[in-house]
Amino acid sequence: MKRVRILMAIAAAAMVVGLYLTLTSPTDRLQGEFTRIVNIHAPSMWVAFLAFGVTALASILWLVRKADRWDRIAEASVETGVLFTATGLFTGMVWGQAVWGRAWDWADPRMASTAVMFFVYIGYLALRRATPDPGMRARRSAILGAIAVVQVPLVYFSVNLFRSLHQTQSIRPDGATMPDEMVIALLVNFLAFTLLYVALTAARVEVAKAEEAKSSETVPAGDAVATPLLSEVKDV
Amino acid sequence: MDHRRFVYLGIGGVIAIVLALTLTGLNDSLTYYLYPSEAVDQRAEFPDGERFRLAGIVVAGTVVEGDGSTSFAVTDGGADVPVVLNGPQPSLFAEDVPLLLEGAWSGDTFEADSALIRHDENYEVPEEGGAYPEG
Repeated sequence: MKRVRILMAIAAAAMVVGLYLTLTSPTDRLQGEFTRIVNIHAPSMWVAFLAFGVTALASILWLVRKADRWDRIAEASVETGVLFTATGLFTGMVWGQAVWGRAWDWADPRMASTAVMFFVYIGYLALRRATPDPGMRARRSAILGAIAVVQVPLVYFSVNLFRSLHQTQSIRPDGATMPDEMVIALLVNFLAFTLLYVALTAARVEVAKAEEAKSSETVPAGDAVATPLLSEVKDV
Repeated sequence: MDHRRFVYLGIGGVIAIVLALTLTGLNDSLTYYLYPSEAVDQRAEFPDGERFRLAGIVVAGTVVEGDGSTSFAVTDGGADVPVVLNGPQPSLFAEDVPLLLEGAWSGDTFEADSALIRHDENYEVPEEGGAYPEG
């Protein structure tokens, strides 16, 4: 738990620096003050991609090693990823309403693919809640976690593959299409959000450990009324 | 029921969603919007009243404010299309701004009922500092 507190402190310090740069960096001539939203929007979506990538890796490791810790990391990372996807969608809608003149357009490939990714990972969390047996829950969610990650490149490259209302990437291998101060503010926020992701996910893993410890204490008492485990009914 | 079947159904569902998304996305790349030169080339495929979206940059000096409507031309460098916008202007509407219009041909004019600002990936600081001048 001490480790989580240290991670939280580091993330909080980085977020403060990021917020300072967000509020002091120059603004775009067309977007005005709404320029600043990109410093929350883009890092949120980056963290969502990272989180779902970590889940896929942990899911594959669980399928290979069958160790509980990979299942806990996979679950924790999806929860953080869903939270940041929601942040990314919400900030995007605020910006869209202000700059485009519309918060949402289903015909846009970036928006539609992000929404589907959001719902699939909410489905991952629902699948976990719907599967009471820990072994079967870990297996099912590992398979889904390993497959669902194919959406990440689809969402990221949707603006390059298809015509979209959403703009394309501003920081690219061949350089940036924004002034240096904006690039620095954005990159610091990418780092700060990544640290926040690490801290939140580590904290969620600790919660999962505590939940497991608690449920292993209470299972014998509740056996008479508990749902029969599927693994007891039928061989897994 | 065999739980494996449940898992396979789940996997199949995810793959189906991804495939459907990719295919409908491909469809949208053809129909999501046309640039002015494409709209002019494909004029015959879009008879009057057939709705489509048009993306172009507002040509400087063409904006005429009417009573509840705005006329102007949009361009992609290849062709200019005259537009009548019957509806509210987006709050950042100005000359040289990229627009995404929804509407249909009416003769040689594109009659739009909605307009969105199509912001691109370029971020620029104004020379004087501060936000875009109020229009």
